[in-house]
This record gives sequence, structure tokens and C-alpha cells, in this order.
Amino acid sequence: MNRSFIALSFFKRGATSVLILFLTVSLLFVLVRIAPGDPSQKYLSPNLSPQLFEKVKSSFQLDKSIAEQYISFVKNAFTGDFGVSYKYHRPVNEVIFEVLPFTIIFSLSAFAVQFVGGLVLALWAFHNHKKFLDKFLSRGSILLYAVPSFVSGLFFVYIFSVQLKLFPSSGIKTVGTLEENIFLLGLDYLHHLFLPLVVLSLTGLPIYFKYFRQHFEEHQEKLYTIYLRANGVAENKIFSRHIIPNSLNSIIAYAGVDLGILFSGALITEVIFSLPGMGRLTVNAILEHDYPLIIGCTLTAGVLIILTNLAADLIRMKIDKRLIKGLIN
Amino acid sequence: MKRIRLSVFDFMLLLLLLTAIFRASLLVKIGMLFISYLAFWVTDFDKAIAQFSFGMIDYFCSLFMLVIISLVLILKRKKIKQPQSFSFLHNTAVVILYVFLFAPLITNNNYDFQKDLSVTQLLPPLSSTNVLHLKPHHAMAGQSEKFFSQKKEVVKASFDEEILFIDSFKIADSTLSYFQNGMKNSLPLSAVELIDGKPNITTKIFFLGSDELGRDIFTRIIYGTRISMLVGVCAVVLSLLIGVLFGFIAGFYGGVIDIILSRINDMFLTFPIIFFVILILAFFGNSFTSVIVVLGFSGWMSLFRIVKGEVVSLNNKDYFISAQQLGLSGTKLLLKEALPVIATPVIVNTVFQFGNVVLSESALSFLGLGVGSDYPSWGAMINSGQAYLSQAWWMIFFPGFAIVLTILTINDFGKKVSRYFNPRLYE
Amino acid sequence: MSITRKNIFIFFFILSSVFIGCKKESSSSNSQVVIAIPSDIERINPLFAFSINEANINELLFLSLVKHSWDENGGDLKTAPMLANSWEWNSDSSSITLNLRNDVKWSDGVPLSIADVIFSFDVYSDPAVESYLYGAFLNFITDKDNHIIAEKTFEKLSETKLKINFAPGSSPSLFNLDFPIVPKHVFEKIPRKDIATAKESFAPVTSGPFMFEKWEKNQAIIIKENPNSFLHQDGTIERIIFKVVPDYSSRLTQLKNHEVDLTEYLKPEDVDELKKAESFVITSLKGREYDYLGWNNIDREKYNKNKSIVPNKLFGSPKVRQAISMALNRNEVITSYLRGYGELANSPISPIFKNAVDEKLLPYSFDLAKAKTLLAKEGWNDKDQNGILEKNGDEFKFTLTISSNNPRRIFAATLFKNTLKQIGIEMNIEQVELGMLIDKINNKNADAWMASWIIPIPLDLKFSWYSNLATTPMNFPSYQNKELDLLLDKLETKISKKQKNEIYKKIESILHRDQPVTFLYWIDNIVAYNKKIKNIEVTPLGTVHHCWTWR
Repeated sequence: MNRSFIALSFFKRGATSVLILFLTVSLLFVLVRIAPGDPSQKYLSPNLSPQLFEKVKSSFQLDKSIAEQYISFVKNAFTGDFGVSYKYHRPVNEVIFEVLPFTIIFSLSAFAVQFVGGLVLALWAFHNHKKFLDKFLSRGSILLYAVPSFVSGLFFVYIFSVQLKLFPSSGIKTVGTLEENIFLLGLDYLHHLFLPLVVLSLTGLPIYFKYFRQHFEEHQEKLYTIYLRANGVAENKIFSRHIIPNSLNSIIAYAGVDLGILFSGALITEVIFSLPGMGRLTVNAILEHDYPLIIGCTLTAGVLIILTNLAADLIRMKIDKRLIKGLIN
Repeated sequence: MKRIRLSVFDFMLLLLLLTAIFRASLLVKIGMLFISYLAFWVTDFDKAIAQFSFGMIDYFCSLFMLVIISLVLILKRKKIKQPQSFSFLHNTAVVILYVFLFAPLITNNNYDFQKDLSVTQLLPPLSSTNVLHLKPHHAMAGQSEKFFSQKKEVVKASFDEEILFIDSFKIADSTLSYFQNGMKNSLPLSAVELIDGKPNITTKIFFLGSDELGRDIFTRIIYGTRISMLVGVCAVVLSLLIGVLFGFIAGFYGGVIDIILSRINDMFLTFPIIFFVILILAFFGNSFTSVIVVLGFSGWMSLFRIVKGEVVSLNNKDYFISAQQLGLSGTKLLLKEALPVIATPVIVNTVFQFGNVVLSESALSFLGLGVGSDYPSWGAMINSGQAYLSQAWWMIFFPGFAIVLTILTINDFGKKVSRYFNPRLYE
Repeated sequence: MSITRKNIFIFFFILSSVFIGCKKESSSSNSQVVIAIPSDIERINPLFAFSINEANINELLFLSLVKHSWDENGGDLKTAPMLANSWEWNSDSSSITLNLRNDVKWSDGVPLSIADVIFSFDVYSDPAVESYLYGAFLNFITDKDNHIIAEKTFEKLSETKLKINFAPGSSPSLFNLDFPIVPKHVFEKIPRKDIATAKESFAPVTSGPFMFEKWEKNQAIIIKENPNSFLHQDGTIERIIFKVVPDYSSRLTQLKNHEVDLTEYLKPEDVDELKKAESFVITSLKGREYDYLGWNNIDREKYNKNKSIVPNKLFGSPKVRQAISMALNRNEVITSYLRGYGELANSPISPIFKNAVDEKLLPYSFDLAKAKTLLAKEGWNDKDQNGILEKNGDEFKFTLTISSNNPRRIFAATLFKNTLKQIGIEMNIEQVELGMLIDKINNKNADAWMASWIIPIPLDLKFSWYSNLATTPMNFPSYQNKELDLLLDKLETKISKKQKNEIYKKIESILHRDQPVTFLYWIDNIVAYNKKIKNIEVTPLGTVHHCWTWR
């Protein structure tokens, strides 16, 4: 596999990604234009002077033709200049960058819990193959999979916040805390984010568990395992050197998509625990018709999703060189 | 050890039988109302049109369905192939179907019924309240009046002026004073319905409690089943049509069309579709139809991929090529050759898609963007219960339970279906 | 495996015990008060005090010429001296002579002088500044842009004596002088149109009983007492922290945990729990906000097409509107949702204006039978007995638009929908986002809606009830009544307080009779604060005022 070939494949992928982003931007533009109501109206209070109204209108470029609007819209979107949020009266980038760190840290931790938790539980179940524990975990994961996060979230809030008063029911830290000690500050964050993390992880955990459990079983019976076993390779070694890496491979592809969607916001969890994440920001922007922010949020989400997919593919390639060929096509 | 095995169809029959026994009087009343209504069509056509309401038709349908399904089950019992294993989730599937079809026969209330909030607000499960019956306003006579009194008894309204919910009462000097949450009011005794000189007091039980507006949660959950199922079925059918059609076009014609459709498909797959759904519902209004359309449009991706893949592989198969050469047109090819082959994966996918849609509908309702406030939806019930979390756990627990059970059942059903079609996978 | 399980439990145990251990003690000592506010303010500049919190903070930081407070017994405002020690009207009230204090200094040491006062009038009324009071100086001598002409208006009689001439024919009052005076020496250097964004709008030079200390964006605004102020007393609170807590439930939790000492707009259902805690004073601010059901009195399609006024098919008749008002069980909302923290409303004239309200006027009581009869008299009958009234082939069906984030209105609308159904009216509820709702009623695109008004003090009715729809955009129901117009005009002439109150009573009876909207109920603003704070006076004017006397 030569380098230029890999470079070409990545170029091709990049082009496709840009195309998809372009399609999305266009779709958004169409939706915003055909939505009922003049976008500038939402921004204006009734007692603004007519001169100011014109000023706002020209800042939205509503005085230009649709084609011109579309071109500048696409141009702005791809240069990352989303304009000023109607609601926050600040540049969209600034608003997004305020919530992005939290979103990324929060979703990465939830993702880690899901992935590692799923792997560990699957290992545990697999070692107790067909025993009670295995069945219990399988049944449990099927049950958990059917529990939507707004049900489990409110259930946990009721038990742990309302009844036991162990964890706070909303927010990310004690507001206005003047805590200087980093350790205690971290604990405060953890205290607030423990329940949201559990709720968010529980939605993905059963999926990873099921994937891992299934793949272990499949690879266990594949020819190469039987061959290795026949050659006297230790069972432990087969498992850690061959079965796990092979299983990981296909799961990571799914994980890439999953993490990307997490980055774009764990909407329901954020709503229940009123967390300052991308999901809530986007939905509030939509509900308040804050068009620049909607576009900023959606494109940020799109870019993040594309990046995580790319990262997932890179990791897979690292594990299995043969895949490069497959990915190009 | 021999277990007593009850088959799915026997279970359904049992449920129907129990309904017929316990709701016998209601069933008779529905039958009589139907006859009166039929009479209208003959005697007074305008009135028949004016009296047409979906609420009433619902009752008629329930009655007919009860009769027809029972008869079919009894007569064809031996011939129907019974599934081998029988589990808890089979039961729930039957129960959900039963609730969906016979909602008006199961509960005695209108899902919007509310009265005297100071007594009926936020009642915990299994609590009961006293109902004081007042004298009916005017006596009924004549044919159309008879119809109205029949209709009133069968079709439950969301209000009732002839009852009062009270905590306790006292009689003194031909006036009746009653208490509602500590507030005292009084009525002349002549306005009250008397039985043996005593006021007619009955009790009403709220099995699963009541919500902040004094509505019966049990009834709302029962009718909520219909919303979930209807939205699910309609949206899935829409996804199915779009996915199969586009998938076939892309797979059959290939080339530029395939590239365009696949890129659009990629776009839908890459983007967190929930934001598009919310955006469209928030901009263009949320209603029963818009939720179905939006969910339908957001679920076609996997079907598209499956159908396209199958059609592409079909294209290379001999019998397909020969069928093409024989001059079969595109639609004919789709119907005669491709459809049977792609049916299996499509059906399996559709069932799982159904579960997804039911989940999405409740999530949208939870966010306040569901089918609207005119219908009781499980997600919306949970949403309104959120504000009363510390006071009324039952407002969230029961609808949440209904959602979990339904999705569990659908997923299990999906697994059964896919096992039925691909038995090898599950050996 | 059992070891892992044990570890998890131990971890959990440590975690929870640490949390219990690190629960913070009250962050406020006796000398400071923490007030929760739902959102951060935009700037600290009285010129742009668009939000209530900004106005409250500015009032503590900046002095005005006179100060109004609420007279509970008289049910009206009373005026107290502030920067102006005393004042004297001339015989026909066309001018006023103020005697200013000479002991007030700005926080940077510069003395506050008459020049600051004149500058303030000038800058507030300058169109280039776009202050929140722009356009409100109608009683003054102004140019065509409503900019006060300083040369004609002000006469400096001495270093502490200032004469203000009002526009001929106007009826000025002391309310025209009640706004914070801004420092001339700070703002004169800045171009007028840049004042809003200048750094002086974020770290102000002040004159009031409190001084600006610190502003942590999105966290808190901290002000401390000004020992040099003439309002300063010993033993009062030293520091006020306005803490930004956007989420309602966290405001409540923080109040319970004593992280916050005062919070407003509590939900009625949370009061019982706070009462149990016994460490809070719970009081309410009555009669400032009322909910109403708005009816479009005119046909909106015809009005939007060519501005023609045609009565609405459904809500055009006052009798129909009366009938609807009778068919709404408003008391049920007050007892079951507001839990007693509200009272029935009769008209936009709040019961707090004790002398202006007609106590003999009783609210329409809930009476479905009477409502049905009234509708039948107006020609609305259910001839085909399908449960919906009709008249001339039109059915009585409409859509009520409400905002989706107000649970109180969703609650009330659901109840009303059901009782209206009982008299044969079908009402659909449409929930939209608040901005959309405002948009709709602004453009007269809604048939019926539910919203609220916060009433201004002193009373002002003209802005929303005058017939001329072009000059009264806030007349959302498009209600037109010549008799009412005359009365509203008369209120603006020079008449005695008693005559005014008589007119108010007449207005009340007209609005009650015509029900241009259904006045539902006055909603209490429930305030809870820590018992340790003494001397708080909650009046219709607000809670966070006169903080320099809090102890």
C-alpha cells in the first residue's frame, strides 16, 4: 500500500464530506427561506425605528435576490462566519465555543463508560458462557435498550435527587462556587454530572454489550480460532491477541458514528438535567428562530461527525491494514 | 413436569371473552345506539350526518370487531398455526393489540374528562373519590331524545354537569352542604338525586391516579396506545414506500441517479436527524400528520440501503437478466421479481423501524413537539409530569412503563420475525 | 469479580460521603445579601435599563431628582425628596423650581451638580443615544426629534436652584423627574451613539447609596454600600450580590441551601415546602400582572387586507364575550394552580389602586346556564344538535394561541377548553414559541390568545385601549369605543385626583361590560427571602428597592 494511494483515498473522502456538508447547508437554506415569517421580524421589537429596521434587513441581506443570498450564505457558512446570534447578540462562534468544551468532555466520558462498560460486561458474560450471569446480562441489556433516556433520567432524578437527595437534579456545578481547590472543584463537577453520565451511558451500554458479546461468540467459532487452538495456542492468548482485536474492528465503525452523534448533543439528557450542551443550544435556537445559531450549530455538528468517522476509520486501519482497500471504495 | 400452555390466540380469546362478560351492558347499549342511529339514516338524513362523530363510530367498530374477531378465533382455532414457544412478551403483544383495538371498551372514561379539580387533582394510584349525583336537567322523550340519552350513556364526554366530586357532605334543613378540599358549598336537596331519601353517592376509583388537571391516567395511557401505534404504523409505511422506491430506482438504474440518491442518503445518515425533525416541526407546526410525515421521511435510510443492495445483486443474477430481456417493464420487474427477494430483509427492518418510530414519537412529545395537546400521548404525559416529579411519581412512572413495555415487545417481535425468516442465524 | 463489586460500592460510598461533607455553608454572612436573578444583565447604565433587573440595580447605584414609593393606605404613589431637597410649582404648573442637595459626590470624587442634571435630560432625550426613555419627554419643550431643547427648558437660578419650564399646554408631574441622573464628566467625552457600548457602561461611576464592586459575566454582579452617601445608615447590609441562576429549580434549591437569600417569581406549588423550612419569609407582590384571554374584536383577514374594520364573526359582540367570560371557571385556576396566590380580575385597573377601583363591580361568576342563554339571545344555537353552536351557518370554532413555555397558561387553556365545550364552543389550543406569539398578535394574526400584561405604575391605559389602531399598536384586541376614548383623553388634562378616580371607575365599568378581552386573574409574584434580612418592604413597585435600609 503506497502513500499516495492512501492520500488519494483521504482526498476522496474529504471531497464526499464537503459535498454532504454542502447539501446540508443548502437544505437548511431552503428550510429557513420557506419557513413562515420574515426572519428579521423575530429580531425586531415593535418600537424600533424604520431606519433601524432597514439596517437589520440589510444585515440579513434580505434586500438582495435569493440567488445572491444563497451564495453569500454558503460562503459565510464555509468560512466559519455564521454572523451574530439574534438571541445572544454575540457572534455565533463565540456562543458555540462556550458550550463545545463541556459537550466534548461530557460526551467523551459517556462514550468511554459505554464502550469500556460494554466491553467489560461482555467479557464477563462470555467467561460465564451460558450460565445464569450471561443470561441475566443479556436479558438486562435487552431491557435497558428499551428504556428511553427520558424515562430512565426522570426515574433516577426521582430516586436519587428527590427521594434520597444524594445528587443534584440539574446544572453542572454549584453556581457561584468560589472553590479554589481543583480537586474539590472537580468533585463538585462530578457530583453534578454523575447522574447525567449514568443516564447517557445507559442508552449506549446495552448496544456495545450486545455487539461485543455477539462478536466474541462469532469469532470463537471461526476457522482461524479453531486452527490456532489446534496448534496449541493458549486460550487466553487467542482471546486477547485475536478475538478481541477482530471484534473491536467492526465495532469501532459503529462507535465513530455514535460518538459523532453524541458530540452533536445528548439532547434529552441535557434537557432533563438542564446542562449547557450543544443539543439544548441547537434546539433552543430552533425554537427561537435564531437562524445564524441554527446554522452554526448544525454545521459544527456535521464537521464533528465527519471528523469522528474519519478518526474511527484511522483506528481501524491501524488495527487491520487490509481495510484500507475496502475503505477507498 | 408439564406446563399448562396457553396459546397466543387462546389468550386473545380469553381477553375478548372477559370483555364481553364485564362490559355486557355497555355492549348491549352500543348495539341499541347503533340501531337508533341506523334508524336516523332512514328517517332523518340531515340529522344522521350532523350526529356523525368519530367517537361514536369508534364504539361501533369496537363492538363489531369484538364479535368478528371472537367468531374467527373460535371457528378457525384449530386451523391457525400456533407458535411453538410462548413468553411474557407474547402476552404483552396481545395486550397492546387488544388495547389498541378496544380502547373504548376497556375504560369507562373520556381521556379528557375532568371536573372539580380541588378534589381530583394529583390523586395517587388506587385512590377513590365520592361522586354526588345531581338530578338530570330535563326528562327525555321522543325518538331523537331517546337517541341522545342513549348516546350520552355510551359515548363518554369530557364533562358531566350531573355529578360533583366531593370529599364529604352534610344535610341540614333541606340543603346539602358539601366539602371540596376544605371549601364548603351548598345545594338545595331538591337538586340532588335521592335514593331512599338519601343522596346518591358512588365512588370513582383512579386506578393509576390522576394528573394535574384531574384526568384519569389509566384512561390516558389506554388511549395513548393508539397514538403511539397509529403514528408508528403510518410513519413506517411512509418510510417503507420512500425507501423501497428510491432504493429500487438507485439499484436498478444506477449511474447518476444512484450517486445523487446515495449522497442524499449519506447526508441523512451523517446528520443527527433529530435536529432536522425538530426544526421542521418547530417551523411548520406540529400536528398528527406533520409528525407522521417527518418521522416517515427520517426513517427511509436503512431501507434504501437494503433495497439498493439487494437490487444491485439481483441485477447480476441470471433469472433477473433474462426477465429483463424478456421485456418486462420496470414496475413489473419490481413487483414480480425483486419484491419477493427483498421482502425478507425489508420486513425485518420495518419491524425494528416501527420500534424506533414509537420511541421517537414519545421523545418528540416529551420535548413538546409531538402530536399536539388534543391527544393523550405517553411522551407528553411524561413531559407534564416532570413539573410534578416530587409530588406525583405516578404521572411519570406509568406512561414510562407503557413506553418501555411497548418497545420491549416490538423489539422482541422483530427478533422473532427475523428468526422466522432466517432460522439459520439463530441455530 | 466480587472484589470489583466491593470496590464500586466503596467508591460510591466515598463519593457520597465527600459530597455530604463538602456541602457548603451559607455563602452569605449577615452583612451581605445574595439575590438570585434569572439572567445576566447587559450593561450597568441607567440610560439603557431595558430589563427590570438592570433598572433595580441602577436604582441602587444612581440617584434621581425625586423618588416615588408606594403608599399602602392611599393605594397610590407618594413622592419623596432625593437629589432635590424640595421643590415648588409655579401657579399654573408650567414650571417647577428645584432645590438640589450640595453634598452628593460621584464615586470618583467629582461633586454632582446642576450641570449633570441638565446633561441627563439632554442625553436621555437624544435620539442618537436611543435610551430606554427616548420619546417619553412629551411634557418638555422639545424639537421635532423629541430632543429636549436645554436653553428653553432649564434656568440655573443658583448653584443649587434649577428652574425647569415645561411645554405650554402640557400637564407635567413629578414622575417626569424620576429617573437616574448620569455623570456628565464621564459621558460627555464619548460620542453619543457609542455610549451603549462604551466601557463606562460596564464599570460605572455612580452616585447612589451603593457602589459598583465587581461584575463576573454570567455569574454575579456585586455592589457594596457607599459610606459617603447621605442615605447611608449604620448597621445596614454592606454588600448585595446579584447572582445569575438561570434555572428555576436551582434557584429554589439554592434558596433552601441558603446559597441565595432572596428569590422572586416562585411557583405556588413550591411554597408549602418552603413554609415548612421555617427560615424564610414568604410574601407576595400583588396586582401587577394579569392574565387575559384576548379576542380579536375585528375580522383580521379584512383588516390585514385593506385596514377595514369589520366586527369579528365570533367575538365582535360584547354579549358573546360576556358569555364566554361566564363560561370560564377562573376560580378553579386560582385555587388549583395558583393555590390562592391570585385574585379574579375585572379590568386592567389593579385592585392596588384602592381609590380608583369600583368595589361594587363584581366579576362575572362561573355560570354555564346563563352563558348559554346569553349566546342563544345573540343567535348562537345548536340546531343540528351536534354539540357545537352555529349562527348563519358558521360554527363557533376557533383556535387559541398560547406560548408553549408557560405551564400556567397551558393549564388554564386545557380547563377552559373543556368548559367551553359544555356550552357548545369548540376551542383548539395552539402552542407556539413566545416570539411567534408576539409576532402573531402584533400583526393581528390571531383570533384568540392568552397572554398577560404587567401594568405600569402610575396607571396608563391609553397605550393599549385607545381606539386609533394606527397610533395604538398595543391595542391587540382592536377594541374601539368612542366613549372610552373621551375618558382616556380627559385623564390627560389637568384634573384633580378625585376626578381622575371617578373616571377610572367609569372606564372600569365600560371595560367590564364590553369585555374586549376576558380579564382572568391578577397573579401574585411570590417572593421568598431569608428571615435574617430585616426591613424588606415588598410593595407593588417591587422587592429589590430601598435596599439601603435593609438590615
